[in-house]
Amino acid sequence: MRIYRRVTLPLHVRWELYPVKHEPGEKAIYGGSYMEEPNWWEKGRKRSLGNELKFMIPEIVFLRGLREENPRLWNVSFPFHLGLYLMIGTFILLFIGAWSMIFGVCIAPGKGSIASVLYYLTILAGFLGLTLGTGGAAALLRRRVREPELRNYSGIADYFNLIFFLIFFAVSLLAWLFHDHSFDGARAYVYSLLTYGGTPGGMAINRSLLGCLSIILACLLLAYIPFTHMSHMFMKYFLYHLVRWEDAPNVKGGRIEAAILANLGFKPTWAASHIGADGKKTWAEIASSRPKIVK
Amino acid sequence: MNRNIRPSDISQPSKHLGHIEPGELSFLPPPYEDFNHITVSELKAEKAASIETSLDDTVAMAIPKPKSKEEEEKYLRAFLSGLQKLFEKENNWGFLQPLLLSMEHCAKCQTCSEACPIFEMSGRQEIYRPTFRAEVIRRLYKKYIKPGGKLATKFTGDIELNWTTIARLAELAYRCTLCRRCASLCPIGVDNALIAHEVRKLFSQEMGIAPRELHEKGTVQHLRIGSTTGMNPMAARDSIDFIQEEMEEITGYKIEIPWDREGAEVLLLHNAGEVLSWPENIGAFAIIFQAAGVSWTLSSEELGYDVVNYGLWYDDVQLARVAIKHAEIAKKLKVKKIVIGECGHAHKALTVIADRVLSGDLNIPRESAFVILDEVVSSGKLTLDPSRNDFPVTLHDPCNVVRAMGIVKPQRRILRKIAPRFREMIPHGVENYCCGGGSGFAIMSGYNFAEWRVLVSSRKKFLQILQAFEDEPPDIPKYVCAPCSNCKGSIRDLLEYYHAKKRSHIYYGGLVELIVNAMTDMKKPMIHFD
Repeated sequence: MRIYRRVTLPLHVRWELYPVKHEPGEKAIYGGSYMEEPNWWEKGRKRSLGNELKFMIPEIVFLRGLREENPRLWNVSFPFHLGLYLMIGTFILLFIGAWSMIFGVCIAPGKGSIASVLYYLTILAGFLGLTLGTGGAAALLRRRVREPELRNYSGIADYFNLIFFLIFFAVSLLAWLFHDHSFDGARAYVYSLLTYGGTPGGMAINRSLLGCLSIILACLLLAYIPFTHMSHMFMKYFLYHLVRWEDAPNVKGGRIEAAILANLGFKPTWAASHIGADGKKTWAEIASSRPKIVK
Repeated sequence: MNRNIRPSDISQPSKHLGHIEPGELSFLPPPYEDFNHITVSELKAEKAASIETSLDDTVAMAIPKPKSKEEEEKYLRAFLSGLQKLFEKENNWGFLQPLLLSMEHCAKCQTCSEACPIFEMSGRQEIYRPTFRAEVIRRLYKKYIKPGGKLATKFTGDIELNWTTIARLAELAYRCTLCRRCASLCPIGVDNALIAHEVRKLFSQEMGIAPRELHEKGTVQHLRIGSTTGMNPMAARDSIDFIQEEMEEITGYKIEIPWDREGAEVLLLHNAGEVLSWPENIGAFAIIFQAAGVSWTLSSEELGYDVVNYGLWYDDVQLARVAIKHAEIAKKLKVKKIVIGECGHAHKALTVIADRVLSGDLNIPRESAFVILDEVVSSGKLTLDPSRNDFPVTLHDPCNVVRAMGIVKPQRRILRKIAPRFREMIPHGVENYCCGGGSGFAIMSGYNFAEWRVLVSSRKKFLQILQAFEDEPPDIPKYVCAPCSNCKGSIRDLLEYYHAKKRSHIYYGGLVELIVNAMTDMKKPMIHFD
C-alpha cells in the first residue's frame, strides 16, 4: 500500500544526481550523462542494465555506500543487515523444503543430495542469520544509545525498532538452540501454512513456547516494518530509481509531456501575494503571468 | 560551542542556538595562519535589534520580529498552512514524491554529515549538520501533518512549534548551499538538501518571506525589468556593444556580436552578471563563436540577455515564470537550440528542472556551453597554442553542472588541450565541493553574511585551491578556472578576503577566457596577471 501510494504520485521535476548508474560505459563511473553529447536530443538514449547491476548488487548485498562513507557504522550495520538477508534466505529454503515435502521428499540428511543440501543449507543460513542479526541489532542499539550524534536524533521509536529486532533474533536463536537445531519445526510450520494446517507425514507435533514466540514476533515485525523508516530496505529502490537516477528527458508528444500537461492543470493555493493563486487559476496560468507586486 | 544541541532545542529561546568561537573553524595552512583565530564578527546591536538573529552569528533573511502575540500567531498559522501545502500534489507536484521519500526513510546514520563542507569547516557546529534542519522538519511533519501526529511524536521525537522555531528554521534553510553532496553520499538515497530547499519554498510561496537579493532584487526585478542586475534591454545592449569595442582593444581581434538574429542555430544566454563584473567572458564567447563560424545570436528582449533563474533556489512559481519566458524568447527567434553560458544554476534550471515544465513548442533543446565549446575546440576550427597558457591552472566544478547534470568531461577535454599545467582539485567532478556561494549565497551580502560565507561555507573551496597549487612557488601566477558566474563571484570574494592574490598569486576567471588566451589569432593576450 505504501509503495503504491508513493509510486502513483504525480510526475516530479527532474532531481537526478550523478553518477546515474544506468549510463553506459565509463559515464556510470565518473558521473557523465547523455547531456555531455552535442545535440543529445537527436541521438537515441543508451542505458546499461549491466552498469546498474554492477552498482546495485554490492550496494544491496554488502552496503557498499555505508562501507565507503561510514565504515564505523558499517561494522555493526552490515552484520545486522546480513542477518536479515540470511533470515529471508532461510525462509525461502524452508519454503522450498516444505514444498518438497508436499511432493513426498523428506528433507533430512542421507535422503538424497538435494534433500541433504536443503537440510544443511537451512541450518547454516538460519544459524548465521540469527547470530549475526542478534549481534548486529545489539551493537546498533548500543551505538545509538552511546553516541550523541545518533542519540540526539533518536526518538523512543528508533530504540523500540532495534529492541524489537533484537528480541526477535534473540528469541529465535534461543528457540533454535533449545528446541529446533535442524529447523525441522520451522519447516513443519511452513508446511502447515501451505497445506492449511497439515502436519508432515511421520512428524510428531513438537511445539515450544520459544518457537511459537519467534513465529509471532516474525509476523508482527513484518507487519510493523512498513510503518517505519526501516522500510528503507525496499523503498531504497524507489529513492534511486524514481529520484536519484530518474533522468528521462521530456520528448514532444511523449508520456512525460502528457504528465506535465496534467500537472500544469493543478490549481495551487499558495498564499504569498506574488504567486497570485486563488485556487481557480492553474499552474499553467500562474506560470505564464507576471508576479503581483505589492508595495 | 555547545556540542550537545538537539533538534528539539530549536524552539528554546536563547541569544544564539549556534555560535562559532575563535579557533573553532578548520585550520588554514601557511601563509594563512593569521586567519585561524578569526571568527564571524558580531552583528551590530542597533542593526540587529528589530530582526531575528537567534540562530547563529549571521543573518540571511532578516525577518522582522513580530510586534504582537497576534502577529506571532499569524506567522504560526501561515507556517502550518505552508507545511501542509508542501505535501499536497496541487501545490507541490514538482517535488512531492522526492520530498516524501526523503522525509520517511532517513535512518539518521549521519553518513551525510561527513560530506557537508559547512558542517566540517565550521568545526562541526551541530546546527549545520545536514540532518539537523531535516530532523526539525520531519518532526513538524509527523506532528502536524500526519494523522495522529501529536500522539505519535511522543515516540518518534517531539518538537515545539513557536515563533523561535519558525524564525530559526527560516534562517537555517539558508545555511545550506543546496550542493547536494550530502545526498550523493547517502547510502539510502535520502536528500536532506532537498528538505532545505522545500523549507525555503514554504517561506516564500506561503509566507512571502525570502532573502531580498533572491526575491525583490532577484526574480521580481528579473521579470519586471528584464535582469536581476537591474539592466533593462537598452542598457544591456549598450553594455554589450561597449564590450564588443573593448574586445578589439584588448585582443586586437574585431568581433561583431549578433543581436536578435532569427533562425540562428544557437541562442546564447548569458548570466547578465558577467556583463557587469566579467565583461571579458561575454567577449570571449563572441570571439570563439565568430572564429569557429557558429551561427548564433544574443537576444535583446527582456530576460533574453539574463539566463539566471533564482527561483531554482527558493520558489517554484518564480522558477517556472522565468524558464517559460526564456523558452518563449527562443521560440520567437526560431533558433535550433539554447546554449547556456558559464552559469551553473541556469544550466540546471533551464535544462533539467524546466524539462518537466516546458511542453510543446516551448520545449526547445537546451545545451551546455561546455559541450559546444568542446566541439569547437576539438574540431580544429580554432588555432590554439597551449604554451600561451603556460601557468598552473585548476578547475572548479560548479555543482549544478557536474553533480546535477553529469557534464564532467567536456570542460576537461578543453583544458587538456589549452592548459599544459592543468591539475585537478581533490576531490573533483561529481564529488567536488561547492564554492560556498551556491543557492544564492554568492549574491547575498546583507549584514555580515558575506563574511560568514568566506569564513565558513567557502572555506573548504579555499583549502582545495591552496592544495591544488601547493607544489608551485608562491610568486608565480596561478589560475582558478571557475566556469560559473556565481562560483566566480564567490571565489573572487574568497581570494580577496584571504589576500590570496598577494600571498599566493592566485587569480581566477572563466573557461572561455583561457580558450581565447590560447588562440593564435589574438594579437594580445586576454588574461593579464596584475
